[in-house]
Amino acid sequence: MWARAVWLALRVPLGRRRGFTCQADSQGSGRITADVIEHLERLALVDFGSREAVVRLEKAVAFADRLHAVDTDGVEPMESVLEDRCLYLRSDYIAEGNCAEELLQNSHRVVEEYFVAPPGNISLPQLGEQLPFPTDSSSHSGKGIPHEHVEEQ
Amino acid sequence: MLGRTLREVSTALKQGQITPTELCRKCLSLIQKTKFLNAYITVSEEVALKQAEESEKRYKKGQSLGDLDGIPIAVKDNFSTSGIETTCASNMLKGYIPPYNATVVQKLLDQGALLMGKTNLDEFAMGSGSTDGVFGPVKNPWSYSKQYREKQQQNPHGESEDSNWLITGGSSGGSAAAVSAFTCFAALGSDTGGSTRNPAAHCGLVGFKPSYGLVSRHGLIPLVNSMDVPGILTRYVDDTAIVLGILAGHDPKDSTTVQDPVKSFVLPNLIDVSKLCIGIPKEYLVPELSSEVRSLWSKAADLFESEGAKVIEVSLPHTCYSIVCYHILCTSEVASNMARFDGLEYGHRCDINVSTEAMYAATRREGFNDVVRGRILSGNFFLLKENYENYFIKAQKVRRLIANDFVNVFNSGVDVLLTPTTLREAVSYLEFIKEDNRTRSAQDDIFTQAVNMAGLPAVNVPMALSSQGLPIGLQFIGRAFCDQQLLSVAKWFEKQVQFPVIQLQQLMDDCSLSLENEKLASVSLKQQ
Amino acid sequence: MAAPMLRWGCPGTRWALAGIGGGFRHRRGASIGSTPNPTREQSTVAQKPLHTAQKLRKGEHKWAAVVGLEIHAQISSNSKLFSGSQVCFAAPPNSLVSFFDASLPGTLPVLNRRCVEAAVMTGLALNCHINKKSSFDRKHYFYADLPAGYQITQQRLPIAANGSLAYSVCVGKKRGQLVSKRVRIKQIQLEQDSGKSLHDDLRAQTLIDLNRAGVGLLEVVLEPDLSCGEEAAAVVRELQLILQALGTSQANMAEGQLRVDANISVHHPGEPLGIRTEVKNLNSIRFLAKAIDYEIQRQINELETGGKILNETRSFDSKLGCTVPMRDKEGKQDYRFMPEPNLPPLVLYDSTTLPAGVDSQQVINIDQIRDMLPELPSVTREQLVQQYGLLPEHSVTLLNEVGLLEFFQNVIKETRAEPKKVASWVLNTFLGYLKQQNLTVSESPVTPSALAELLDLLERKAISSSVAKQVFQELWRGQGKTAAQIVSEQKLELLQDPAALEQLCLATMEEHPQVVMDVKKGNPRAINKLIGLVRKATLSRADPALIKDILEKRLWL
Repeated sequence: MWARAVWLALRVPLGRRRGFTCQADSQGSGRITADVIEHLERLALVDFGSREAVVRLEKAVAFADRLHAVDTDGVEPMESVLEDRCLYLRSDYIAEGNCAEELLQNSHRVVEEYFVAPPGNISLPQLGEQLPFPTDSSSHSGKGIPHEHVEEQ
Repeated sequence: MLGRTLREVSTALKQGQITPTELCRKCLSLIQKTKFLNAYITVSEEVALKQAEESEKRYKKGQSLGDLDGIPIAVKDNFSTSGIETTCASNMLKGYIPPYNATVVQKLLDQGALLMGKTNLDEFAMGSGSTDGVFGPVKNPWSYSKQYREKQQQNPHGESEDSNWLITGGSSGGSAAAVSAFTCFAALGSDTGGSTRNPAAHCGLVGFKPSYGLVSRHGLIPLVNSMDVPGILTRYVDDTAIVLGILAGHDPKDSTTVQDPVKSFVLPNLIDVSKLCIGIPKEYLVPELSSEVRSLWSKAADLFESEGAKVIEVSLPHTCYSIVCYHILCTSEVASNMARFDGLEYGHRCDINVSTEAMYAATRREGFNDVVRGRILSGNFFLLKENYENYFIKAQKVRRLIANDFVNVFNSGVDVLLTPTTLREAVSYLEFIKEDNRTRSAQDDIFTQAVNMAGLPAVNVPMALSSQGLPIGLQFIGRAFCDQQLLSVAKWFEKQVQFPVIQLQQLMDDCSLSLENEKLASVSLKQQ
Repeated sequence: MAAPMLRWGCPGTRWALAGIGGGFRHRRGASIGSTPNPTREQSTVAQKPLHTAQKLRKGEHKWAAVVGLEIHAQISSNSKLFSGSQVCFAAPPNSLVSFFDASLPGTLPVLNRRCVEAAVMTGLALNCHINKKSSFDRKHYFYADLPAGYQITQQRLPIAANGSLAYSVCVGKKRGQLVSKRVRIKQIQLEQDSGKSLHDDLRAQTLIDLNRAGVGLLEVVLEPDLSCGEEAAAVVRELQLILQALGTSQANMAEGQLRVDANISVHHPGEPLGIRTEVKNLNSIRFLAKAIDYEIQRQINELETGGKILNETRSFDSKLGCTVPMRDKEGKQDYRFMPEPNLPPLVLYDSTTLPAGVDSQQVINIDQIRDMLPELPSVTREQLVQQYGLLPEHSVTLLNEVGLLEFFQNVIKETRAEPKKVASWVLNTFLGYLKQQNLTVSESPVTPSALAELLDLLERKAISSSVAKQVFQELWRGQGKTAAQIVSEQKLELLQDPAALEQLCLATMEEHPQVVMDVKKGNPRAINKLIGLVRKATLSRADPALIKDILEKRLWL
């Protein structure tokens, strides 16, 4: 009996049913501006690299735009399927640490027990002007003595 | 021996019919023979043999740790393994050796399981074919099965046999291939949108996605934290239940595991199907569904009905938005999760040292493939202040609608939903790569993905071979945290359908084939 | 909000940088660099407008400053906010780092109960509404000492909101009058601290130490209710006292446990608010006040001379005493906030909503924390006023100086002298010596018992108050002698024997007949001279009142 129902349903011409394997638009919308692209590259520290990548983003956005067809009035956003569960709390004990050696082993550049980064506080667009020896926050610091950077919070 | 169920092998080990070391060596030799499948990224031979030796000692003293003691297993290469390279099939993590074990890995090792190696995947598990990893695509063992080869000879395609191999599906394709080719008895996959169930369907395996919160994600390198779960791939439903029994439970290192005590996952041999209500979601009947899958699905429904189960059509009206919704939530979380890969503390680091930002940018350009970079950029776009409400929040709202669809169906008395797992059987690699990654994922995840939105348990059970001689599986979806009930139904179904065992004798015996294929595989294997 | 008018161009009402030194002191060894030259600081800014102001029409001279603060307080806890590694100020680099703190892939945050309790306690002390449900967010930006590429914070739904903080500032000619004010608290959120970057410019590299990465912070966000550096300083000092009283943070600015960012703008009252700048990382209360006042003045100067204020981040250069733009904060930032998917919402309970049968380690009861709140500084001050009859401003000073209240109370315990008298000695003499030598209370060579003993001698009239000052000076030299020993060795006791004193008076009168004549002629000041002479003869050991009595009797006055 069940089988019959399925078969009946299937006899409906397929073209009339809207599948949900929505094909992405073949063309990008072209609405991602150069500014946005640059902004994204700077925020993500990932470059598009090619026109195709931009088209890919445009397609991805066009694909996402389909969601606007859904009526979500009065619907609360759902962050987690565990939203009604109690968040687990840890007791304030020291249970980790003292593993600098293990951690530093996976780093390509290490000085003593420190990880080593290139000089900081220079954003990408400034680089062109500042090569080869950028001195960033050193302007108000000691001479070559390691000093703490002004923190971001 | 290798084709037996976990419990059978465990009994054989206990009775001394075979020792853990012998079992381990058998699997290792099979891994060697099937190397061209590219199922493993790292084979941890030494570790496995040492574990086998210890297991053997325990068996000799009669102090076995349990059903998994001495049992070869494999782990997807996006689970952290202490002292064993963990790459996520990405240049970004080549050479990264974690100092800790993922909780699920630790639990398996604590039971005496033998870790054979780390299995291949799409880079950072982003994909549905296991074709987009830096170590090359995984080949479906069924490409080399007697069942498929015979059918191929009947309908020659004109293409050369060796380039016409099939994909495993993904992204846990390496784990699926490893289990399917008998190189281990169980493997861990991960499942964010179907990454365990999809390759299970294509490789004729049981692929289980537990309820979100039942199994720890600590040590699973995340794709989408709010949807990821460790998955289990085995040849039999009972094997999955045994592994689940070991893995399930609260982990103080993962705040998203529930604190309720876990019950037993032992599955009854007999269940009364007549008390079941099986729901058939009408939205899953899509035009793209192959007629073979469609008819098997219908046959399965009949089977339940004939045994007295109530089979009803149900509606999950928002299903059709699930993929779009997933696309936004997934890329957004990816954008966030991938921010930690900068080359400073671990992983790939470029040679540029002019500034921190320049170093990060170049490292990330070199370390991620196009797919990952594309998702990072899309995700960042959706998270921009001006887009957040329109895309991210909108998707979260739609996510609730999708989850509520399931709640409504289960509240109406349905115990288990029965759906296809994939649109069709596995396709050839050449066919597969015609579409881009996102489109493919959108097509391949359609039946599996909504479940992750709602955090429900779901399992692929292989049902029959297609006319091409390839596996087709169906998916059962259960109520949240009713994993045991779901697997019980799956076990019953498994028993009814008697899915055929893959016939790989020729492959295993034929050294020339594996040699010939090794040449091919070498192109896509590790290129360090 | 009615901010006080800031005017300039009128001599004498120059935008003042004063008032901070009275209550607060730059602590020794605190923070960066040497002590800046105060004259130079002021001259760099404050003189310029004097020239330009003349050209302005009336009405344009009035500016109001709007200042808001964001204060980061490190939570005092054994382990970090989301990991089990230790919280400690000084340790070998990267020794206090867990796999999670180093952002190893696959690691997950697990919330520290203690940090939640500290946040609730602080929220309650600051009259906040405690949110029964709060949540965590990721804030994304790349920085070498932020290993995950994001910070976990509470942007959308913080643990506490809508509070207020009462504080007081000194006003009036001699700054002797206390005015109570109140600043609104927008929210308190839990968040992770970052690691530390050490810039080694010589080798063009940055050394990264993650020991601090992941330490729990309370970010206290104030509404922009303040109008000058002095108010900001008073607010921060009061908050510091509250946190220390609660024990939720050690709030030591020198060790970076309390860090302040200030949002500053100026506008003409009645007009829309001006464009604001953010001055970051103010790590002493004195610099905080200076930086804010400098920045207000800079903005006014800029606008007065037709310039524009940029919405930018600046830092305070304590050596130059000015704020400078932070180059690395240029460009459009977008933190791309996103809910932290690995932490379900944090739910708190009160006694009425507490679920039955749950593990008590897994629930936090707001009412229970409220019952455990210790006495807050405002109450302590009130009690000092009530109990000892002190002036309110004295109670403020007793609390503001680290360790001074305890010192005062210890003296009180051991002396019979009146509390008011003790307060006067502690606040004037004792504190004066400390400040003169730039010492903290704990570094004082004079112990509470030593001072108590001295005050007892004074109380018994065994010594005069001028001798007491002299003895105090001896005690300060710290030669290990008690007040009594000093008095007896140097024979500083008050001359108590009336006959001996009378003898001395007569002798003095004989030696100074001219002065005696003056007295008799009716010169009223001459008697004082005579008293002084007698005291000198007693080596200041006699009570002047007693001398006066004797002299008057002898001169038949």
